[in-house]
Amino acid sequence: MSLWRKIFTMFRARATEAGEAVVDANALRILDQEIRDASEALRKSRDDLTTMMAQRKLSFNKVQPKQNKIAEYSGFIEQLLDRGDEALAREVAQKLADLERETEADVQLLGQFDSNIEILKKSILQAEGTISRLKQQVDSVKATENVQRAQAALASQHSGTNTALRTATDSLERIKQKQLERAAKFDAAKELEHFGGDHDLQAKLANAGLLENSASADSVLARFKTRASLAAPAAPLSLGRPNPERPGPDGSSQ
Amino acid sequence: MASLWTTQDLYEALSASALSLEGKIELNDGLEPNISVQLADFGDLPVQITVSGAQLMVSSALWEASQVKDLARFNEAALKLNPVNALSNIGLISLAPGRDLYIMFGELSASSDLAHIIEEIRVLADNTIEAAEVFSEQLIPSPAISGPAMFTGAAT
Repeated sequence: MSLWRKIFTMFRARATEAGEAVVDANALRILDQEIRDASEALRKSRDDLTTMMAQRKLSFNKVQPKQNKIAEYSGFIEQLLDRGDEALAREVAQKLADLERETEADVQLLGQFDSNIEILKKSILQAEGTISRLKQQVDSVKATENVQRAQAALASQHSGTNTALRTATDSLERIKQKQLERAAKFDAAKELEHFGGDHDLQAKLANAGLLENSASADSVLARFKTRASLAAPAAPLSLGRPNPERPGPDGSSQ
Repeated sequence: MASLWTTQDLYEALSASALSLEGKIELNDGLEPNISVQLADFGDLPVQITVSGAQLMVSSALWEASQVKDLARFNEAALKLNPVNALSNIGLISLAPGRDLYIMFGELSASSDLAHIIEEIRVLADNTIEAAEVFSEQLIPSPAISGPAMFTGAAT
C-alpha cells in the first residue's frame, strides 16, 4: 500500500536525523494530503455521476416517444397492407426504418450510460471507503501522538527523582510485594487466631479452676488455706510440691 | 450510529462506575486530554485512555528500550507474542530523541459500551503485568524501580 510506504520511508528518513522525537506531525501531513486528494476525487466522481444520470434521463425521454411512434407506424402499415395500399405502406415503412435505426442508436447509448453509471458508483464507494480508512488512520496517529505526549509528560515528572518512568516492571514488583505482604499478614493472622483461640481456651480452663499453674488470687489463697489446714501432718508433702492437687481444693469451683 | 465518547464524558462515566472503587481515575486535562487509571489489583499500573475522533486507545508503558538487554531478541519475541495475544498489541513510541518506550495498547471504537471499555482496561493491565513477568529475564534490572519512594506510596 502506497500510504504505508510513504509513512515508512518517512520514519527511516527521520531516524537518521535523530533530532526529532515525534514523527507523527509528518504522518498527519501525509494523511491530510491523501484525504484531500481522495475527497477531491470523490467530489468529481459525484459530479460526473449526476451529469451522467441527467444525460441518461434525457436520452431515455427521447427514446420513449420514438418507441410509441414505432408502435403507431407498425399499426398503420398493417392496416394499409390489409387495404392493399402498398404505396402508402412503403412510405410509412421508410419512416419506420429511420425511426428504428435512431432508437437502436439511442438504446446503445443508454446502455453505455448505464455501464458508466455503474462504474462511477463503484468508484464512489471505493473513494468513500478510502477516505474513512484514511480518517481512521488519522485517528490512530493522533491517538498514538496523544499517548506519546502523555508518557513523555509522565517521564518528565520522573526525570527529577532518579526513578525511571513507572512502568510495567515496577507495577509487577508492587504486585509481588503486595502478595508477599498479604501472605505475611495472612500467616500472622492465622498465627494470631491460633494463639488467640488457645489463649481463650486457657482462660476458660483457668476460670474453671482446671489449670493449677495459672496463678489467680483465688488459687493462691486456696493454696495457703490448704497448707494451713494440713500444716501439721502433711507439711513435707506440700512443701515438696507447691502445686495443690487437681480438684478445687475447697470444692467450691467444682 | 451510536454516539462517540469524548474524553470528558468517558472520564465522568468511569468515575461513576464500579471501576473507581478499585483504584484511581484521573483526567489529565490539556489540549488533548487523556484519562489515567491506576488499579490496585494491577500494582497501580498507569493505564492511559485517549479518545481521538472515532477511536479510543487504551495503553500502558511496558519499559524503556534502554532497559532491554537484547533488543533484537526482545523484538522478535514481542512480534511473535502479538498474534497470540488477541486483545493487546506491543508497540514502540518515542519519548524523546534516543529514548524509546515499549507500550502495550489496544484500540476500540469510540462508540463502544462503557462495559467494553472497562473490560479492555482490565485486560490491558493484566496483559501488561503478564508481559512484565514473562519478559523479566530479558530486562536489565533497574535499581531505581523498587526504590523506597514507591513503598511509601504503596503503604498509604
